[in-house]
Amino acid sequence: MFDKILIANRGEIALRIIRTCKELGIKTVAVFSEADRESLHVTFADEAVCIGPAPSKDSYLKIPAIISAAHITGADAIHPGYGFLAENANFSEICAESDIKFIGPSPQMIKSMGDKAFAKNTMRKTGVPVVPGSDGVIKESSEGRSIAEEIGYPVIIKASAGGGGKGMRVVWERSEFDNAFQMAQNEAGSAFGNSEVYIEKFVENPRHVEIQVLGDSFGNIYHYGERDCSVQRRHQKLIEESPSPALDQKLREKMGDAAILGAHSVNYEGVGTIEFLLDKNKNFYFMEMNTRIQVEHPVTEYVYDVDLIRQQILVAAGEKVETLPKQPNGHSIEFRINAEDPEKGFRPSPGKITSVHFPGGFGVRVDSHIYNSYSIPPYYDSLIAKLIVWGQNREHALARARRALEEFVVEGIKTTIPFHLQVLQDKRFLKGNFDTGFLDNFFKD
Amino acid sequence: MDLNLIKKLVKIVDTSEITDLEVEENGLRIKVAKKLRTFRTYDQPQVVIGNSSLQESTEKIAPAKETNSAVEIAENVHEIKSPIVGTFYRAPAPDADSYVQVGDTISQGAVLCIVEAMKLMNEIESDVSGKIIKILAENGKPVEYNQPLFLVQTS
Repeated sequence: MFDKILIANRGEIALRIIRTCKELGIKTVAVFSEADRESLHVTFADEAVCIGPAPSKDSYLKIPAIISAAHITGADAIHPGYGFLAENANFSEICAESDIKFIGPSPQMIKSMGDKAFAKNTMRKTGVPVVPGSDGVIKESSEGRSIAEEIGYPVIIKASAGGGGKGMRVVWERSEFDNAFQMAQNEAGSAFGNSEVYIEKFVENPRHVEIQVLGDSFGNIYHYGERDCSVQRRHQKLIEESPSPALDQKLREKMGDAAILGAHSVNYEGVGTIEFLLDKNKNFYFMEMNTRIQVEHPVTEYVYDVDLIRQQILVAAGEKVETLPKQPNGHSIEFRINAEDPEKGFRPSPGKITSVHFPGGFGVRVDSHIYNSYSIPPYYDSLIAKLIVWGQNREHALARARRALEEFVVEGIKTTIPFHLQVLQDKRFLKGNFDTGFLDNFFKD
Repeated sequence: MDLNLIKKLVKIVDTSEITDLEVEENGLRIKVAKKLRTFRTYDQPQVVIGNSSLQESTEKIAPAKETNSAVEIAENVHEIKSPIVGTFYRAPAPDADSYVQVGDTISQGAVLCIVEAMKLMNEIESDVSGKIIKILAENGKPVEYNQPLFLVQTS
Protein backbone atom coordinates (compact mmCIF):
# COMPACT_ATOMS: atom_id res chain seq x y z
CA MET A 1 0.00 0.00 0.00
CA PHE A 2 1.21 3.52 -0.64
CA ASP A 3 2.91 5.42 2.12
CA LYS A 4 2.19 8.92 0.90
CA ILE A 5 -0.04 10.23 -1.90
CA LEU A 6 0.29 13.65 -3.48
CA ILE A 7 -3.05 14.99 -4.70
CA ALA A 8 -2.49 16.91 -7.93
CA ASN A 9 -5.74 18.81 -7.79
CA ARG A 10 -7.74 21.32 -5.77
CA GLY A 11 -11.21 22.11 -4.45
CA GLU A 12 -13.78 19.51 -3.53
CA ILE A 13 -12.12 16.56 -5.25
CA ALA A 14 -8.81 17.16 -3.48
CA LEU A 15 -10.71 17.03 -0.17
CA ARG A 16 -12.53 13.90 -1.29
CA ILE A 17 -9.28 12.09 -2.04
CA ILE A 18 -7.58 13.28 1.15
CA ARG A 19 -10.48 11.94 3.23
CA THR A 20 -10.20 8.42 1.79
CA CYS A 21 -6.40 8.49 2.13
CA LYS A 22 -6.74 9.30 5.82
CA GLU A 23 -9.13 6.38 6.28
CA LEU A 24 -6.58 4.10 4.62
CA GLY A 25 -3.80 5.42 6.85
CA ILE A 26 -1.99 6.98 3.89
CA LYS A 27 -0.16 10.29 4.39
CA THR A 28 -1.27 13.12 2.13
CA VAL A 29 0.44 15.98 0.32
CA ALA A 30 -1.57 18.88 -1.04
CA VAL A 31 -0.24 21.13 -3.76
CA PHE A 32 -1.62 24.61 -4.19
CA SER A 33 -1.27 27.76 -6.24
CA GLU A 34 -0.83 31.08 -4.52
CA ALA A 35 -4.53 31.77 -5.04
CA ASP A 36 -5.41 28.64 -3.07
CA ARG A 37 -3.31 29.30 0.03
CA GLU A 38 -6.47 29.52 2.16
CA SER A 39 -8.12 26.52 0.56
CA LEU A 40 -9.45 23.68 2.71
CA HIS A 41 -7.51 20.92 0.97
CA VAL A 42 -4.29 22.66 2.03
CA THR A 43 -5.39 22.56 5.67
CA PHE A 44 -6.68 18.99 5.62
CA ALA A 45 -3.56 17.44 4.10
CA ASP A 46 -0.60 16.38 6.24
CA GLU A 47 1.79 18.45 4.14
CA ALA A 48 1.33 21.19 1.59
CA VAL A 49 3.58 22.63 -1.10
CA CYS A 50 3.03 25.85 -3.01
CA ILE A 51 3.72 25.02 -6.64
CA GLY A 52 3.12 28.24 -8.53
CA PRO A 53 1.11 31.39 -9.14
CA ALA A 54 -2.64 31.45 -9.67
CA PRO A 55 -2.98 30.55 -13.38
CA SER A 56 -3.53 26.81 -13.83
CA LYS A 57 -0.91 26.52 -16.54
CA ASP A 58 1.71 27.75 -14.06
CA SER A 59 0.54 25.61 -11.16
CA TYR A 60 -1.95 22.72 -11.39
CA LEU A 61 -0.93 21.99 -14.96
CA LYS A 62 2.78 22.51 -14.39
CA ILE A 63 4.20 19.00 -14.50
CA PRO A 64 7.74 19.80 -13.28
CA ALA A 65 6.40 21.65 -10.25
CA ILE A 66 4.15 18.75 -9.29
CA ILE A 67 6.79 16.07 -9.80
CA SER A 68 9.27 18.16 -7.86
CA ALA A 69 6.77 18.53 -5.03
CA ALA A 70 6.38 14.74 -4.98
CA HIS A 71 10.16 14.32 -4.82
CA ILE A 72 10.78 16.71 -1.98
CA THR A 73 7.95 15.26 0.11
CA GLY A 74 8.81 11.67 -0.71
CA ALA A 75 5.36 10.88 -2.08
CA ASP A 76 5.25 7.45 -3.75
CA ALA A 77 2.01 8.01 -5.66
CA ILE A 78 0.07 10.86 -7.27
CA HIS A 79 -3.70 11.03 -7.53
CA PRO A 80 -4.70 13.40 -10.34
CA GLY A 81 -8.41 13.72 -9.47
CA TYR A 82 -10.45 14.84 -12.49
CA GLY A 83 -9.67 17.53 -15.06
CA PHE A 84 -6.19 19.11 -14.99
CA LEU A 85 -3.67 16.31 -15.65
CA ALA A 86 -5.99 13.35 -14.99
CA GLU A 87 -6.03 12.28 -18.64
CA ASN A 88 -2.66 13.66 -19.70
CA ALA A 89 -0.65 10.80 -21.20
CA ASN A 90 2.55 12.80 -20.88
CA PHE A 91 2.04 13.24 -17.15
CA SER A 92 1.28 9.54 -16.69
CA GLU A 93 4.52 8.74 -18.48
CA ILE A 94 6.63 11.20 -16.50
CA CYS A 95 5.28 9.79 -13.25
CA ALA A 96 6.32 6.31 -14.36
CA GLU A 97 9.78 7.56 -15.32
CA SER A 98 10.10 9.34 -11.98
CA ASP A 99 9.25 6.15 -10.11
CA ILE A 100 5.97 7.56 -8.83
CA LYS A 101 2.77 5.55 -9.18
CA PHE A 102 0.20 7.48 -11.21
CA ILE A 103 -3.23 6.56 -9.82
CA GLY A 104 -4.80 6.32 -13.23
CA PRO A 105 -4.22 4.53 -16.51
CA SER A 106 -1.03 3.98 -18.46
CA PRO A 107 0.06 6.54 -21.05
CA GLN A 108 -0.91 4.14 -23.86
CA MET A 109 -4.41 3.68 -22.43
CA ILE A 110 -4.96 7.43 -22.12
CA LYS A 111 -3.78 7.96 -25.69
CA SER A 112 -5.94 5.26 -27.18
CA MET A 113 -9.16 6.19 -25.37
CA GLY A 114 -8.45 9.88 -25.97
CA ASP A 115 -8.44 9.32 -29.69
CA LYS A 116 -12.21 9.30 -30.23
CA ALA A 117 -12.15 7.65 -33.64
CA PHE A 118 -9.76 4.95 -32.44
CA ALA A 119 -11.78 4.28 -29.30
CA LYS A 120 -14.97 3.98 -31.31
CA ASN A 121 -13.33 1.61 -33.77
CA THR A 122 -11.93 -0.56 -31.00
CA MET A 123 -15.35 -0.84 -29.38
CA ARG A 124 -17.03 -1.59 -32.69
CA LYS A 125 -14.60 -4.43 -33.43
CA THR A 126 -15.20 -5.85 -29.98
CA GLY A 127 -18.93 -5.95 -30.55
CA VAL A 128 -19.94 -2.97 -28.43
CA PRO A 129 -22.69 -1.05 -30.24
CA VAL A 130 -21.43 2.27 -31.60
CA VAL A 131 -23.24 5.07 -33.36
CA PRO A 132 -23.49 3.80 -36.93
CA GLY A 133 -21.41 5.83 -39.31
CA SER A 134 -18.83 5.97 -42.03
CA ASP A 135 -15.68 3.95 -41.66
CA GLY A 136 -13.41 6.99 -41.51
CA VAL A 137 -13.24 10.12 -43.57
CA ILE A 138 -15.53 10.70 -46.57
CA LYS A 139 -14.02 12.50 -49.56
CA GLU A 140 -16.91 12.69 -52.01
CA SER A 141 -20.43 13.86 -51.44
CA SER A 142 -21.82 10.95 -53.47
CA GLU A 143 -20.04 8.47 -51.24
CA GLY A 144 -21.48 10.25 -48.22
CA ARG A 145 -24.96 10.13 -49.67
CA SER A 146 -24.94 6.36 -50.12
CA ILE A 147 -23.66 5.84 -46.58
CA ALA A 148 -26.43 8.10 -45.33
CA GLU A 149 -28.94 5.91 -47.21
CA GLU A 150 -27.52 2.84 -45.45
CA ILE A 151 -27.57 4.37 -41.98
CA GLY A 152 -30.89 6.08 -42.46
CA TYR A 153 -31.69 9.77 -42.06
CA PRO A 154 -31.22 11.94 -40.08
CA VAL A 155 -27.41 11.89 -40.22
CA ILE A 156 -24.81 14.31 -38.95
CA ILE A 157 -21.72 15.35 -40.88
CA LYS A 158 -18.84 16.00 -38.45
CA ALA A 159 -15.36 17.43 -38.75
CA SER A 160 -12.72 14.83 -38.06
CA ALA A 161 -10.39 17.32 -36.41
CA GLY A 162 -13.17 19.14 -34.71
CA GLY A 163 -15.31 19.82 -31.72
CA GLY A 164 -17.33 22.54 -30.09
CA GLY A 165 -20.14 22.25 -32.60
CA LYS A 166 -18.09 23.57 -35.52
CA GLY A 167 -17.93 21.78 -38.85
CA MET A 168 -21.14 19.92 -38.04
CA ARG A 169 -24.30 19.72 -40.10
CA VAL A 170 -27.43 17.73 -39.42
CA VAL A 171 -29.10 16.41 -42.57
CA TRP A 172 -32.74 15.42 -42.32
CA GLU A 173 -33.32 14.24 -45.89
CA ARG A 174 -31.52 13.28 -49.05
CA SER A 175 -32.19 16.50 -50.92
CA GLU A 176 -30.26 18.53 -48.36
CA PHE A 177 -27.21 16.27 -48.33
CA ASP A 178 -24.88 17.67 -51.00
CA ASN A 179 -25.21 21.24 -49.82
CA ALA A 180 -24.73 20.30 -46.16
CA PHE A 181 -21.66 18.23 -47.08
CA GLN A 182 -19.97 21.13 -48.78
CA MET A 183 -20.84 23.58 -45.98
CA ALA A 184 -19.46 21.24 -43.34
CA GLN A 185 -16.21 20.81 -45.26
CA ASN A 186 -15.79 24.57 -45.69
CA GLU A 187 -16.47 25.27 -42.04
CA ALA A 188 -14.12 22.51 -40.91
CA GLY A 189 -11.41 23.85 -43.17
CA SER A 190 -11.63 27.36 -41.85
CA ALA A 191 -12.11 26.42 -38.16
CA PHE A 192 -9.53 23.63 -37.86
CA GLY A 193 -7.41 23.92 -40.99
CA ASN A 194 -8.58 20.42 -41.88
CA SER A 195 -11.66 19.94 -44.02
CA GLU A 196 -11.96 16.19 -43.51
CA VAL A 197 -15.41 15.05 -42.45
CA TYR A 198 -17.11 11.80 -41.51
CA ILE A 199 -20.74 10.82 -41.09
CA GLU A 200 -22.72 9.44 -38.18
CA LYS A 201 -26.30 8.60 -37.48
CA PHE A 202 -27.83 11.61 -35.78
CA VAL A 203 -29.37 10.62 -32.48
CA GLU A 204 -31.79 13.39 -31.65
CA ASN A 205 -31.87 14.49 -28.03
CA PRO A 206 -30.53 11.25 -26.64
CA ARG A 207 -30.22 10.47 -22.97
CA HIS A 208 -26.67 10.46 -21.72
CA VAL A 209 -26.27 7.25 -19.73
CA GLU A 210 -22.85 6.21 -18.51
CA ILE A 211 -21.64 3.01 -16.85
CA GLN A 212 -19.12 3.00 -14.00
CA VAL A 213 -16.46 0.33 -14.47
CA LEU A 214 -13.58 -0.77 -12.27
CA GLY A 215 -10.72 -3.03 -13.26
CA ASP A 216 -8.13 -4.56 -10.93
CA SER A 217 -4.62 -5.68 -11.85
CA PHE A 218 -5.66 -9.34 -11.99
CA GLY A 219 -7.82 -8.97 -15.07
CA ASN A 220 -11.14 -8.65 -13.25
CA ILE A 221 -13.50 -5.94 -14.44
CA TYR A 222 -16.72 -5.00 -12.70
CA HIS A 223 -19.48 -2.51 -13.36
CA TYR A 224 -21.43 -0.54 -10.77
CA GLY A 225 -24.47 0.36 -12.79
CA GLU A 226 -25.36 3.52 -14.58
CA ARG A 227 -25.66 7.23 -14.09
CA ASP A 228 -28.10 9.34 -16.10
CA CYS A 229 -26.45 12.69 -16.81
CA SER A 230 -28.88 14.06 -19.38
CA VAL A 231 -29.58 17.34 -17.56
CA GLN A 232 -26.86 19.44 -19.18
CA ARG A 233 -26.39 23.05 -20.07
CA ARG A 234 -24.03 23.62 -23.01
CA HIS A 235 -22.68 20.10 -22.59
CA GLN A 236 -21.93 20.72 -18.91
CA LYS A 237 -23.66 18.30 -16.54
CA LEU A 238 -25.74 19.90 -13.81
CA ILE A 239 -27.81 17.07 -12.32
CA GLU A 240 -26.94 13.37 -12.32
CA GLU A 241 -28.74 10.35 -10.92
CA SER A 242 -28.52 6.63 -10.41
CA PRO A 243 -30.35 4.52 -11.44
CA SER A 244 -31.54 6.05 -14.71
CA PRO A 245 -35.33 6.41 -14.93
CA ALA A 246 -35.02 5.09 -18.49
CA LEU A 247 -33.43 1.74 -17.64
CA ASP A 248 -34.97 -1.48 -16.46
CA GLN A 249 -32.94 -4.36 -15.06
CA LYS A 250 -32.69 -6.03 -18.47
CA LEU A 251 -31.30 -2.96 -20.21
CA ARG A 252 -28.99 -2.32 -17.29
CA GLU A 253 -27.53 -5.79 -17.71
CA LYS A 254 -27.14 -5.34 -21.45
CA MET A 255 -25.38 -2.01 -21.11
CA GLY A 256 -23.29 -3.20 -18.18
CA ASP A 257 -22.16 -6.25 -20.13
CA ALA A 258 -21.30 -4.08 -23.14
CA ALA A 259 -19.28 -1.76 -20.92
CA ILE A 260 -17.36 -4.67 -19.37
CA LEU A 261 -16.74 -6.13 -22.82
CA GLY A 262 -15.35 -2.81 -23.98
CA ALA A 263 -13.17 -2.39 -20.90
CA HIS A 264 -11.81 -5.94 -21.28
CA SER A 265 -10.87 -5.29 -24.88
CA VAL A 266 -8.33 -2.72 -23.71
CA ASN A 267 -7.35 -4.57 -20.51
CA TYR A 268 -8.59 -1.66 -18.50
CA GLU A 269 -7.32 -1.10 -14.97
CA GLY A 270 -8.63 1.40 -12.46
CA VAL A 271 -11.85 3.38 -12.41
CA GLY A 272 -13.37 4.35 -15.71
CA THR A 273 -16.66 5.43 -17.21
CA ILE A 274 -18.13 4.33 -20.51
CA GLU A 275 -20.51 6.91 -21.92
CA PHE A 276 -23.45 5.80 -24.06
CA LEU A 277 -26.15 7.61 -25.94
CA LEU A 278 -29.59 6.16 -25.39
CA ASP A 279 -32.11 6.93 -28.10
CA LYS A 280 -35.87 7.10 -27.82
CA ASN A 281 -36.18 3.44 -28.70
CA LYS A 282 -33.79 2.37 -25.93
CA ASN A 283 -30.97 1.58 -28.34
CA PHE A 284 -27.63 2.44 -26.82
CA TYR A 285 -24.47 3.47 -28.62
CA PHE A 286 -20.90 3.85 -27.35
CA MET A 287 -19.81 7.48 -27.28
CA GLU A 288 -16.52 7.61 -25.43
CA MET A 289 -14.59 6.28 -22.47
CA ASN A 290 -13.29 8.45 -19.63
CA THR A 291 -10.25 7.00 -17.93
CA ARG A 292 -10.54 8.82 -14.59
CA ILE A 293 -12.82 9.30 -11.58
CA GLN A 294 -15.78 11.50 -12.50
CA VAL A 295 -17.36 14.42 -10.70
CA GLU A 296 -20.66 12.56 -10.29
CA HIS A 297 -19.19 9.39 -8.77
CA PRO A 298 -21.02 9.91 -5.41
CA VAL A 299 -24.43 8.87 -6.75
CA THR A 300 -22.97 5.46 -7.58
CA GLU A 301 -21.37 5.33 -4.15
CA TYR A 302 -24.73 5.78 -2.45
CA VAL A 303 -26.64 3.26 -4.55
CA TYR A 304 -23.93 0.59 -4.61
CA ASP A 305 -22.58 1.31 -1.12
CA VAL A 306 -19.00 1.64 -2.35
CA ASP A 307 -16.15 4.10 -1.79
CA LEU A 308 -14.91 4.39 -5.37
CA ILE A 309 -11.80 6.41 -4.52
CA ARG A 310 -10.87 3.76 -1.99
CA GLN A 311 -11.26 1.00 -4.57
CA GLN A 312 -9.27 3.07 -7.02
CA ILE A 313 -6.35 3.40 -4.61
CA LEU A 314 -6.47 -0.28 -3.63
CA VAL A 315 -6.40 -1.36 -7.25
CA ALA A 316 -3.56 1.03 -8.06
CA ALA A 317 -1.60 -0.49 -5.16
CA GLY A 318 -2.06 -3.93 -6.74
CA GLU A 319 -4.70 -5.13 -4.32
CA LYS A 320 -8.09 -6.74 -4.92
CA VAL A 321 -11.33 -4.80 -5.12
CA GLU A 322 -12.86 -4.71 -1.64
CA THR A 323 -16.46 -3.92 -2.49
CA LEU A 324 -17.97 -5.94 -5.31
CA PRO A 325 -21.08 -4.67 -7.07
CA LYS A 326 -24.46 -5.94 -5.91
CA GLN A 327 -28.03 -4.98 -6.70
CA PRO A 328 -28.58 -1.21 -6.69
CA ASN A 329 -30.23 0.01 -3.52
CA GLY A 330 -32.51 3.02 -3.64
CA HIS A 331 -32.06 6.14 -5.72
CA SER A 332 -29.47 8.90 -5.58
CA ILE A 333 -29.36 12.33 -7.21
CA GLU A 334 -26.50 14.84 -7.33
CA PHE A 335 -26.87 18.58 -7.82
CA ARG A 336 -23.79 20.55 -8.85
CA ILE A 337 -23.74 23.83 -6.95
CA ASN A 338 -21.79 26.38 -8.97
CA ALA A 339 -20.79 29.92 -8.06
CA GLU A 340 -22.89 31.28 -10.92
CA ASP A 341 -25.87 33.60 -11.24
CA PRO A 342 -28.71 31.70 -12.92
CA GLU A 343 -30.62 34.94 -13.44
CA LYS A 344 -27.79 36.47 -15.42
CA GLY A 345 -27.07 33.69 -17.87
CA PHE A 346 -25.13 31.67 -15.30
CA ARG A 347 -22.44 34.31 -15.20
CA PRO A 348 -19.61 33.29 -12.80
CA SER A 349 -19.94 34.82 -9.35
CA PRO A 350 -16.61 34.59 -7.51
CA GLY A 351 -16.14 36.49 -4.28
CA LYS A 352 -16.26 36.12 -0.52
CA ILE A 353 -18.71 33.77 1.11
CA THR A 354 -20.13 35.58 4.10
CA SER A 355 -22.29 32.79 5.43
CA VAL A 356 -22.60 29.10 4.64
CA HIS A 357 -24.70 26.34 6.13
CA PHE A 358 -24.72 22.85 4.69
CA PRO A 359 -27.89 20.75 4.81
CA GLY A 360 -27.77 17.60 6.89
CA GLY A 361 -29.81 14.66 8.01
CA PHE A 362 -30.23 11.12 6.82
CA GLY A 363 -29.39 10.46 3.21
CA VAL A 364 -27.76 13.86 2.62
CA ARG A 365 -24.13 14.28 1.58
CA VAL A 366 -22.27 17.49 0.75
CA ASP A 367 -18.86 17.34 -0.94
CA SER A 368 -17.48 20.86 -0.73
CA HIS A 369 -14.41 22.90 0.05
CA ILE A 370 -16.18 26.13 0.95
CA TYR A 371 -16.43 27.60 4.44
CA ASN A 372 -17.46 30.82 6.16
CA SER A 373 -15.40 33.80 4.94
CA TYR A 374 -13.76 31.75 2.16
CA SER A 375 -13.01 33.76 -0.95
CA ILE A 376 -13.63 31.91 -4.19
CA PRO A 377 -10.72 32.57 -6.55
CA PRO A 378 -11.72 33.56 -10.09
CA TYR A 379 -9.08 31.42 -11.81
CA TYR A 380 -10.68 27.98 -11.68
CA ASP A 381 -13.99 26.33 -12.42
CA SER A 382 -17.11 27.45 -10.61
CA LEU A 383 -18.04 24.20 -8.85
CA ILE A 384 -18.19 24.98 -5.14
CA ALA A 385 -20.23 22.10 -3.79
CA LYS A 386 -21.98 18.88 -4.73
CA LEU A 387 -25.21 18.05 -2.95
CA ILE A 388 -25.98 14.35 -3.15
CA VAL A 389 -29.13 12.79 -1.73
CA TRP A 390 -30.29 9.23 -1.37
CA GLY A 391 -33.83 7.93 -1.00
CA GLN A 392 -35.58 4.56 -1.00
CA ASN A 393 -36.89 5.37 -4.48
CA ARG A 394 -36.82 8.30 -6.89
CA GLU A 395 -39.83 10.03 -5.36
CA HIS A 396 -38.29 9.93 -1.92
CA ALA A 397 -34.95 11.16 -3.25
CA LEU A 398 -36.68 14.09 -4.95
CA ALA A 399 -38.49 15.07 -1.76
CA ARG A 400 -35.26 14.86 0.19
CA ALA A 401 -33.45 16.89 -2.48
CA ARG A 402 -36.01 19.67 -2.26
CA ARG A 403 -35.77 19.68 1.54
CA ALA A 404 -31.96 19.74 1.49
CA LEU A 405 -31.68 22.47 -1.15
CA GLU A 406 -34.03 24.63 0.88
CA GLU A 407 -31.74 24.19 3.88
CA PHE A 408 -28.60 24.99 1.91
CA VAL A 409 -27.47 28.54 2.69
CA VAL A 410 -24.69 30.30 0.81
CA GLU A 411 -24.46 34.07 1.16
CA GLY A 412 -22.12 36.63 -0.33
CA ILE A 413 -22.15 35.10 -3.80
CA LYS A 414 -24.73 33.83 -6.26
CA THR A 415 -25.20 30.10 -6.67
CA THR A 416 -27.26 27.71 -8.76
CA ILE A 417 -29.28 26.53 -5.74
CA PRO A 418 -32.40 28.48 -6.78
CA PHE A 419 -32.08 27.05 -10.27
CA HIS A 420 -32.09 23.47 -8.94
CA LEU A 421 -35.19 24.21 -6.88
CA GLN A 422 -36.92 25.37 -10.04
CA VAL A 423 -35.97 22.19 -11.90
CA LEU A 424 -37.45 20.24 -9.00
CA GLN A 425 -40.82 21.79 -9.80
CA ASP A 426 -40.76 20.77 -13.43
CA LYS A 427 -43.31 18.04 -14.17
CA ARG A 428 -41.19 16.38 -16.85
CA PHE A 429 -38.18 16.18 -14.58
CA LEU A 430 -40.28 14.86 -11.71
CA LYS A 431 -41.64 12.11 -13.97
CA GLY A 432 -38.17 11.22 -15.17
CA ASN A 433 -39.04 12.17 -18.74
CA PHE A 434 -36.01 14.09 -19.85
CA ASP A 435 -33.14 13.87 -22.28
CA THR A 436 -30.20 16.07 -23.26
CA GLY A 437 -32.63 18.55 -24.82
CA PHE A 438 -34.43 19.06 -21.53
CA LEU A 439 -32.66 22.19 -20.29
CA ASP A 440 -32.89 23.95 -23.65
CA ASN A 441 -36.65 23.62 -23.44
CA PHE A 442 -36.68 24.43 -19.74
CA PHE A 443 -35.07 27.80 -20.35
CA LYS A 444 -37.47 28.61 -23.13
CA ASP A 445 -40.48 28.20 -20.85
CA MET B 1 0.24 18.58 20.94
CA ASP B 2 -1.74 21.07 23.01
CA LEU B 3 -2.85 23.71 20.53
CA ASN B 4 -4.50 25.73 23.27
CA LEU B 5 -1.16 26.05 25.06
CA ILE B 6 0.48 27.24 21.86
CA LYS B 7 -2.32 29.73 21.24
CA LYS B 8 -1.90 31.09 24.76
CA LEU B 9 1.86 31.45 24.37
CA VAL B 10 1.47 33.25 21.04
CA LYS B 11 -1.03 35.62 22.63
CA ILE B 12 1.32 36.36 25.51
CA VAL B 13 4.15 37.30 23.16
CA ASP B 14 1.87 39.16 20.76
CA THR B 15 0.30 41.39 23.37
CA SER B 16 3.37 42.15 25.43
CA GLU B 17 6.87 43.62 25.09
CA ILE B 18 8.35 40.12 25.25
CA THR B 19 10.22 39.18 22.08
CA ASP B 20 11.30 35.63 22.94
CA LEU B 21 9.59 33.02 25.07
CA GLU B 22 10.71 29.44 25.46
CA VAL B 23 8.84 26.74 27.36
CA GLU B 24 9.96 23.17 27.94
CA GLU B 25 7.96 20.32 29.40
CA ASN B 26 8.34 16.54 29.11
CA GLY B 27 10.86 16.74 26.35
CA LEU B 28 8.77 19.10 24.27
CA ARG B 29 10.24 22.54 23.74
CA ILE B 30 8.15 25.36 22.38
CA LYS B 31 9.72 28.67 21.39
CA VAL B 32 7.69 31.70 20.41
CA ALA B 33 9.65 34.62 18.98
CA LYS B 34 8.63 38.00 17.70
CA LYS B 35 10.67 39.81 15.10
CA LEU B 36 10.71 43.50 15.78
CA ARG B 37 10.94 45.43 12.59
CA THR B 38 11.34 49.18 12.63
CA PHE B 39 9.70 49.54 9.23
CA ARG B 40 6.35 49.09 7.60
CA THR B 41 4.97 45.60 8.21
CA TYR B 42 3.15 44.34 11.26
CA ASP B 43 4.84 42.17 13.86
CA GLN B 44 3.98 38.54 13.44
CA PRO B 45 4.72 36.05 16.15
CA GLN B 46 6.42 32.98 14.77
CA VAL B 47 6.11 29.58 16.29
CA VAL B 48 9.02 27.16 16.24
CA ILE B 49 8.37 23.71 17.61
CA GLY B 50 11.29 21.52 18.53
CA ASN B 51 11.21 18.15 20.22
CA SER B 52 14.47 17.67 22.02
CA SER B 53 14.07 13.90 22.31
CA LEU B 54 13.60 13.26 18.59
CA GLN B 55 16.25 13.73 15.95
CA GLU B 56 14.05 14.03 12.91
CA SER B 57 12.51 17.32 11.96
CA THR B 58 8.75 17.52 11.96
CA GLU B 59 8.57 20.82 10.16
CA LYS B 60 5.87 21.33 7.63
CA ILE B 61 7.10 22.46 4.28
CA ALA B 62 4.50 25.21 4.16
CA PRO B 63 4.90 27.58 7.12
CA ALA B 64 1.95 27.18 9.49
CA LYS B 65 -0.72 29.72 8.51
CA GLU B 66 1.64 32.65 8.21
CA THR B 67 0.00 35.37 6.24
CA ASN B 68 3.29 36.62 4.91
CA SER B 69 2.46 39.56 2.76
CA ALA B 70 4.14 39.87 -0.58
CA VAL B 71 5.02 43.45 0.37
CA GLU B 72 8.72 44.23 0.76
CA ILE B 73 9.91 44.04 4.31
CA ALA B 74 11.46 47.48 4.12
CA GLU B 75 12.16 50.11 1.53
CA ASN B 76 15.63 48.92 0.58
CA VAL B 77 15.48 45.25 1.54
CA HIS B 78 14.58 42.89 -1.27
CA GLU B 79 13.45 39.28 -0.93
CA ILE B 80 14.86 36.78 -3.41
CA LYS B 81 12.23 34.08 -3.83
CA SER B 82 12.42 30.62 -5.30
CA PRO B 83 10.82 30.49 -8.76
CA ILE B 84 10.38 26.74 -8.54
CA VAL B 85 9.69 23.86 -6.19
CA GLY B 86 12.79 21.88 -5.27
CA THR B 87 15.71 21.40 -2.91
CA PHE B 88 17.87 24.38 -1.92
CA TYR B 89 21.65 24.13 -2.05
CA ARG B 90 24.12 26.84 -1.07
CA ALA B 91 26.94 25.47 -3.22
CA PRO B 92 27.31 23.92 -6.69
CA ALA B 93 28.59 20.64 -5.18
CA PRO B 94 28.70 19.04 -1.70
CA ASP B 95 32.37 19.87 -1.08
CA ALA B 96 32.47 23.18 -2.94
CA ASP B 97 32.30 26.66 -1.45
CA SER B 98 28.91 28.33 -1.04
CA TYR B 99 28.00 30.74 -3.79
CA VAL B 100 27.43 33.57 -1.31
CA GLN B 101 27.76 34.37 2.38
CA VAL B 102 26.03 36.93 4.55
CA GLY B 103 27.75 40.26 3.98
CA ASP B 104 28.73 39.57 0.36
CA THR B 105 28.10 42.24 -2.20
CA ILE B 106 26.46 40.85 -5.30
CA SER B 107 25.43 42.27 -8.64
CA GLN B 108 22.24 41.67 -10.59
CA GLY B 109 22.41 38.34 -12.38
CA ALA B 110 24.83 36.78 -9.90
CA VAL B 111 24.15 33.14 -9.08
CA LEU B 112 23.17 32.89 -5.42
CA CYS B 113 22.23 29.24 -5.02
CA ILE B 114 20.94 26.10 -6.67
CA VAL B 115 17.40 24.76 -6.47
CA GLU B 116 17.39 21.19 -7.62
CA ALA B 117 14.20 19.90 -9.24
CA MET B 118 13.72 16.63 -11.07
CA LYS B 119 17.45 15.92 -11.08
CA LEU B 120 18.21 19.26 -12.72
CA MET B 121 20.37 21.82 -10.94
CA ASN B 122 18.78 25.22 -11.50
CA GLU B 123 20.99 28.20 -10.82
CA ILE B 124 19.02 30.96 -9.14
CA GLU B 125 20.19 34.42 -10.11
CA SER B 126 19.72 37.61 -8.17
CA ASP B 127 17.35 40.10 -9.76
CA VAL B 128 18.95 43.02 -7.90
CA SER B 129 22.38 44.29 -6.88
CA GLY B 130 23.23 44.77 -3.24
CA LYS B 131 24.46 43.11 -0.08
CA ILE B 132 23.29 39.76 1.29
CA ILE B 133 21.99 40.44 4.78
CA LYS B 134 20.22 37.17 5.50
CA ILE B 135 19.94 33.63 4.19
CA LEU B 136 16.41 32.38 4.82
CA ALA B 137 16.47 28.82 3.52
CA GLU B 138 18.40 25.88 4.87
CA ASN B 139 20.96 23.96 2.83
CA GLY B 140 19.59 20.67 1.56
CA LYS B 141 16.02 21.44 2.59
CA PRO B 142 12.96 21.60 0.32
CA VAL B 143 11.62 24.94 -0.83
CA GLU B 144 8.28 25.74 -2.44
CA TYR B 145 7.25 28.23 -5.12
CA ASN B 146 7.92 31.83 -4.03
CA GLN B 147 9.52 30.80 -0.79
CA PRO B 148 11.92 33.58 0.33
CA LEU B 149 15.56 32.48 0.06
CA PHE B 150 17.69 35.58 0.63
CA LEU B 151 17.35 39.11 1.90
CA VAL B 152 19.39 41.58 -0.12
CA GLN B 153 19.95 45.14 0.96
CA THR B 154 19.82 47.34 -2.10
CA SER B 155 20.90 50.94 -2.07
